[in-house]
Amino acid sequence: MTLLQSLKNFVRSKSIHVAYVDVGSCNGCDVEVLACLAPRYDIEQYGIFVHNNPREADVLLVIGAYTPGWEGKLEGLWEKIPDPKVAVAIGNCPISGCLFNRPHTLVDPPVSKHIPIAAQVPGCPPRPTEILSAILSVAPLVYRDYEVRK
Amino acid sequence: MKRTVDVSIPVGPVHPCWKEPTRVKCETRGEFVLSAEVELGYMKKGIERIMQGRPWQEVMFLAERVCGICSVIHNMVFIEALEKMSSIEVPERAALLRVIVNELDRMQSHILANFSYCYTIEHETLGMYLLDSREKVLDELERITGARITCAYMVPGGVRFDLRSEDALHLRASMDMLEKEITRYTGMFEHGPLIALRSRGIGILTRDAAREACAVGPTARASGLPESDRRLHHPTYRKLGFTPISREEGDNFARIMMRFQEMLQSISLIRKCLDILPVGPIRGGGIPGAGEIAYSGEAPRGELSYFIRTDAAGRVIDIAIQTPSIMNIEACCHYMLTGVASMADVPSTFVSSDPCIACTER
Amino acid sequence: MAISLLYYAQEFLRGEWVKKFLAAKTAPLQIPTYFRNYPELTGKTCTHQLYCMMACPAPGAIDVVMTPDGWMPRIHVGHCIRCGLCVEACPNGVLTSGRILESMFYDNTKLSFSFRIDVDTDKCMGCGNCAVACPVNKLIDAQMSHGGRASTDELLLKVSEGKCQVLHVEKCTGCKTCEHHCPNEAIRVARLLEAVHAPEEEL
Repeated sequence: MTLLQSLKNFVRSKSIHVAYVDVGSCNGCDVEVLACLAPRYDIEQYGIFVHNNPREADVLLVIGAYTPGWEGKLEGLWEKIPDPKVAVAIGNCPISGCLFNRPHTLVDPPVSKHIPIAAQVPGCPPRPTEILSAILSVAPLVYRDYEVRK
Repeated sequence: MKRTVDVSIPVGPVHPCWKEPTRVKCETRGEFVLSAEVELGYMKKGIERIMQGRPWQEVMFLAERVCGICSVIHNMVFIEALEKMSSIEVPERAALLRVIVNELDRMQSHILANFSYCYTIEHETLGMYLLDSREKVLDELERITGARITCAYMVPGGVRFDLRSEDALHLRASMDMLEKEITRYTGMFEHGPLIALRSRGIGILTRDAAREACAVGPTARASGLPESDRRLHHPTYRKLGFTPISREEGDNFARIMMRFQEMLQSISLIRKCLDILPVGPIRGGGIPGAGEIAYSGEAPRGELSYFIRTDAAGRVIDIAIQTPSIMNIEACCHYMLTGVASMADVPSTFVSSDPCIACTER
Repeated sequence: MAISLLYYAQEFLRGEWVKKFLAAKTAPLQIPTYFRNYPELTGKTCTHQLYCMMACPAPGAIDVVMTPDGWMPRIHVGHCIRCGLCVEACPNGVLTSGRILESMFYDNTKLSFSFRIDVDTDKCMGCGNCAVACPVNKLIDAQMSHGGRASTDELLLKVSEGKCQVLHVEKCTGCKTCEHHCPNEAIRVARLLEAVHAPEEEL
């Protein structure tokens, strides 16, 4: 890796953009992700910017248990995110399907069947503290050893 | 009829301003929105089918997870429907504690809705102030119930945890602080010239249109339909002397102001509850039996109805849930969004009706 | 002009200001004690009544396993929804989570279980699988024969006159073994959970 590339990686890892996508949750995890923006937790002081635009994201927070409506669309959304990227599963739903993974359900968990998941934050819903520490621990991994592919 | 449509613009399903996935398709001529259509179906989990054949202790948690923002009211309506069906008595203290927790939940939901609106019209300062207040409400909720979002507080015949005296003191102190803060933010919202520019006279839902579209909750009350409030039919709220408030304008501004006013009303309701909170038991016991009932309550977004049929062992055979957001989304798409002058006002108008997609699709 | 520049330089070159500007952080993130977190063991002896598993609303969140120290409940993170029902349902106080145990002691509350067995006589064909499989029956009459016929009336389930009969429903432990062994879905066990104040004599 060239010096320039490692310098770039270092700088870019200090400014992480986060997008979140809800693939069929109860909304509880969405509001906890939103609560991370609150002045008490203040996610932006760590250089993390929550802007719900996959085209400029580095970290994708996946919330929810993968409903049939997202069949193929989540994979498409994952491809639209430029490299390098990681996905973090927030809440029980993407990990195990939570309460919805019962007979006669429509959901199809876990989400790791459909896109690669780098980290999991269990809890129903997880506290903003837990979400924050998960994003903070994943953020340095995004740009580690990253080189532009030819 | 031939219409000149320039382009049909889809907004969503992943949109910076929307918490949940949904798609609004707007037919536009230039910037002017001719008509809008909402496309749902990204969140359907089949909760009602999962609920069938399960006892109350499992359905209660599934009911909470119909909607994570207004989870307490789903729990409350489900449990109260069972209680009414099997005539289970609730102790006085438990009934008042339920109102306290429900009003705290309503406050945090309204604050979140107003935050979303402020965020959508790019007034982030006020949005962040509101989120900070929301954390204080959630703290109180957590202190009483032990969880921030899905509290699981009510059980047939009472509530799970008592309100301790030191927590009651803390709650009173927080209510004083929140009242001061929310009064200040209401003033900021009411007198902000740029907020008025983005909000007043936009997305108007007239009284007749609201009646026609069966709008419920703050959306209907902002259009001058105060009688749509289901809290008027709730025995505990009646005892507290609850009177709904309403506004006449019916635009985005009125809907947000409506929520600010309801927060202040919630604070006074909580204070009233704390004043008359008697000492006594919090659980009366009782097992739900066989029966069939339709019961509704007032969620933060409007009227929420449960239709339940159970067998002799208290298992749910059949259940149907009618959530408030579906009416409001219809009212929003067919009445508010038609005639919106600019595409930039489409997200803010949609958010001002506080749509909850997880509720709607379940 | 010069004075005001000097003023600003003096103001913004203070070490405290620069430090705050560059490294402003919010208060340390702590989980409050009153939050119901994942249930933890208190160290009391589990008596293997399995009420925690019966009360649990989440599939696969808790199971009770045999360890060298005896039976112990085990929580599966990723499935557990932190509702705290297992803590309330446990008759021995094996689990704790947040302030729930403390509250139960102060408020004198508990969750009590009772069981109810329904036999659909139209579907029951009297095969006796339920009566033979029932672990309570096995303790009372280990010699119970194929077909579920027995001489004693102390049993929980028994087949007589070609139909399954429930004799002593108060002996049921709610394990649902009979339900799983019924070939015809004729027998159903309901676990009735009741939120009550604990009776005074138990204190």
